Amino acid sequence: MAVSEIQLVRVTKRFPGGLVAVDNVDLTVGSGEVMCLLGPSGCGKTTTLRMVAGLEWATSGDILIAGKRVNHLQARDRNVAMTFQFYALYPSLTVAENLAYPLHADRLSRGEIAERIRRVAAVLELGGILERRPHELGEGEKQRVAVGRSIVRSPTCFLFDEPLSRLDIQLRQTMRTQIKEILEQLDKPTVIVTHDQIEALTMADRIAVMRDGRLEQVATPHDLFAHPANLFVAGFIGTPQMNLLEAVLIGTEGGAANGQATGRFRLLGAEIIATVEARVGSLARESPVTLGIRPRSFELVDPAASGALPAKVDIIEPMGAEVLAHLVEGDVDLRCVMPHTTRIALGEAVGLRCKPGQLHVFGADGRLVQ
Amino acid sequence: MAARVLSRDVRQAPRGWAAFATIVSLIYFFPVLWIILTAFKTHNDALAVPPKWLFTPTLENFIAVFSRVMTYQGAAANTGFDLFFFNSIFIAMTSVAVALVLGTVAAYGFSRYPLKGNDTYLFIILTTRMLPPIVVIIPIFVMFREAGLSGTYVGIILLYTAFNLPFTIWMMKSFFDELSREVEDAARMDGSSEIKVFFKICLPQVIPGLAATAVFGLILTWNEYLFALLLTGVETRTVPVAMGQTIGGAIGVRWGLLAAIETLFLVPVVLVTFLLQNQLLRGVTFGTIRR
Amino acid sequence: MVAVAPGIRTRRRFLSLSWSNWPLALVAAVVVVALAVWLLPADSAFWVSLAAVCVVAFSAVAYVYSRRLNGALLVAPAVALLLVMNIFPLLWSLGLSFFHYRASSIQPPSWLGLGNFAKVLTSPDVWDRLRTTGLIMVLTVGCQLVVGFLLALLFEKRFVGRRVLLTLVLTPMMLSYVAVGAFFRYYYDPTFGLLSQFVRTFTGEPFLLLNTPWGARAGIIFADAWMWSPFVMLLVLAGLVSVPSYLYEAAEIDRASWWRKFRTITLPYIRGLLLLALLFRTIEAFKLFDVVFLINEGGPGTSNETIALYIYRQSFQYNKTSYATALTYIVLFVVVVLTNLYLYGVNRRARETA
Repeated sequence: MAVSEIQLVRVTKRFPGGLVAVDNVDLTVGSGEVMCLLGPSGCGKTTTLRMVAGLEWATSGDILIAGKRVNHLQARDRNVAMTFQFYALYPSLTVAENLAYPLHADRLSRGEIAERIRRVAAVLELGGILERRPHELGEGEKQRVAVGRSIVRSPTCFLFDEPLSRLDIQLRQTMRTQIKEILEQLDKPTVIVTHDQIEALTMADRIAVMRDGRLEQVATPHDLFAHPANLFVAGFIGTPQMNLLEAVLIGTEGGAANGQATGRFRLLGAEIIATVEARVGSLARESPVTLGIRPRSFELVDPAASGALPAKVDIIEPMGAEVLAHLVEGDVDLRCVMPHTTRIALGEAVGLRCKPGQLHVFGADGRLVQ
Repeated sequence: MAARVLSRDVRQAPRGWAAFATIVSLIYFFPVLWIILTAFKTHNDALAVPPKWLFTPTLENFIAVFSRVMTYQGAAANTGFDLFFFNSIFIAMTSVAVALVLGTVAAYGFSRYPLKGNDTYLFIILTTRMLPPIVVIIPIFVMFREAGLSGTYVGIILLYTAFNLPFTIWMMKSFFDELSREVEDAARMDGSSEIKVFFKICLPQVIPGLAATAVFGLILTWNEYLFALLLTGVETRTVPVAMGQTIGGAIGVRWGLLAAIETLFLVPVVLVTFLLQNQLLRGVTFGTIRR
Repeated sequence: MVAVAPGIRTRRRFLSLSWSNWPLALVAAVVVVALAVWLLPADSAFWVSLAAVCVVAFSAVAYVYSRRLNGALLVAPAVALLLVMNIFPLLWSLGLSFFHYRASSIQPPSWLGLGNFAKVLTSPDVWDRLRTTGLIMVLTVGCQLVVGFLLALLFEKRFVGRRVLLTLVLTPMMLSYVAVGAFFRYYYDPTFGLLSQFVRTFTGEPFLLLNTPWGARAGIIFADAWMWSPFVMLLVLAGLVSVPSYLYEAAEIDRASWWRKFRTITLPYIRGLLLLALLFRTIEAFKLFDVVFLINEGGPGTSNETIALYIYRQSFQYNKTSYATALTYIVLFVVVVLTNLYLYGVNRRARETA
């Protein structure tokens, strides 16, 4: 067993009244790893975090921190540090006193406490506001104090509940980088709860996507993006949202030499051809599938080209270096992102083809075929 | 492997707390309880030495509240307490209602159209609430006597309304201050008149405030003694004054009767308080607590 | 009267005779009142003054109406009622305190200037009553704060039956003073009273409470504190309940001890409210009349006569009307000072926990 690690084994939380907030979650956060719990509101991510902290009891399953089963331990006995969404700064204490608060339990000397505060203040640039009270601080300052209160200790792990949700975009970007640096230095298992995928994708070593209390997929940001395990994850990760199109598999050709084959699909009345995973060939002919194509995975071709999907340009949204185009075919809306130098006009008929290797095929059960 | 199902809520009391709280509450409630028990006792039981815990309850006191059997003739005479109860209810409710109307409108004015020196006006208004009644008792007594308001409903209702106004204005203003103006602005842009905005948008949102104010006003006027003593007449007497007279009788206090009166008198207030407990909490802090 | 567009200030001449010229009305009213008081018997002077005040009020309303100051219009009815019922009598009392006047005699009031105030401030009786009032006040408010605080701690957490028990504990506040006074007198009665009988099981002698100054004092304080501790409880409870849960959770995570949590989180939230309770109950205790009167009529003798009771007796039993009003003004002054403190406390609290 690694020195410090968080393990959740078949953890379930059922509230009185019947609501199952967390359903059989299995998760391991390695020492020094940053794990993000990502998902829409109500998916159980905060409840999971609170169970690790000891602010909620688990109904069943095991929670282990540093190899020790902590289910029955109170929060104070688990030696975890947590940054709350609403910062939870003690209003009657100064910033310095807030930072020192958790250290009293460690029975450190005055000098030691002062030294630690000084170090944390230097890292988070809190030097000028140490004598202020929370109600005199700005939003960003409050957030840094909250983070500071966590890192001033030596806990077994760090927990963050939506740490950046209350900051504006500018501050968010700055704090993202800053927190990431700090976490790398501290090298303890960290769990961050967030509903913002950008945050998760940039800060996490691995992301656990949750929905309705269940884990949908646990993977690195890259894998999550490149190989989403099911329709939910595929639609959740990536902006603009992935195009999810219902189609019918006509058949596949080609060898499994490089794991790739050529698939033929009937989509929106047209027959399209694209490179797919060889495993797609295991599906029966004429079976219904869902095709997942990211907006940046399209290339424009002549509408009459074979294997291409014809569509008409409906709306063009300039986004600076790129352009988001909405194309319509039938009653389906397709999102397509291309460099701003691309020449397209409203109402123009174009043909779309998926770049090789970027077509995701989801079976009738919603799972990725790979 | 199974752990406790209970939510780890910091606000939940530890086990056994309910039992402890029950004991303490009952001890605190004991004097009131004794009054209620006494209401069901005969006169002898009430004065029993040592005190009787177990006794045969009787309703004779409750009946006696409303009619007294004359010792010479057999017919029961009306003690007039049904009138007194009616007076108390009528006077309290009317004055609270009028104060609510005037006070809420005024609070809306203070809140939405702040004048220069708003704070000073509000301070003066609050000071009138803090007045020792003694200070105004004489002029008011003279005023009422000269204006013929002494002993009338109108007089005492006007007075109690003036008592309830400061508190009403303060409470309702704090509630109005907390409303978000955006909804109102949207309605104004949609062409609603100011009156419509007030009734359809602002008022529904401050109903808890109205409830709290009403409860406090009720409690205040229900038990008021001094002014009622001096300014109500035979027809308009309220229950507290009548109770005082019952005590002052030459026969000595009929405790059972008194207890019955008080028990009956207690019921409406307790009912209202029980129903509007949450609002009470807010009212007591003059709206300074943000929920 | 010229209709004016809202906000536009026209130059009104001071002497222009129109209903909306309220400064003129005010000046005229003062003159009329002074003349009336000087020349007319008290009763007529009273009514003339009231009429003058009404004229001023009316002109203020007309002014407001002509300028379409909506806010003032909304506020007017309430303010008018308060003026008539509270402010006017207050001013009248103030005026009266400068005269020598007895309600029982038909003699008109004679000017005494500050004579009444001098008499009041040098009267040993007055100081004695003030001392008594202060003593009772300190003791009863102290008890209320302690008991109320403890009760609030009891009811802070959620448990089964909390709502019902809370209502039970609130009932003392809702009893009529008459009932409390009468029944506590009954409880303290040496023959039938529960207190005496309870003591008698130990000592075998009936227990007399109300016949000594300190005994009566204890009786009053106990009854009053019992009645109003729930009020303090409500205030403190509101504070306790308003503490956000996540502060306690953060303190849990930070491994703070029970005492630490109380000192750094709970206490700051309720400190302001305790102060509010202190001031409010102090102001109310200053006005203490009903309980004292009904338990023992301020006895034995006058040993427990509070200042309010003293004033009442002076006005209605001894008919020393203007003397009494002078005294009430001194009391009022103290109350105003306390109210100021109270408001300051309220504002500070609103700022601190924003």
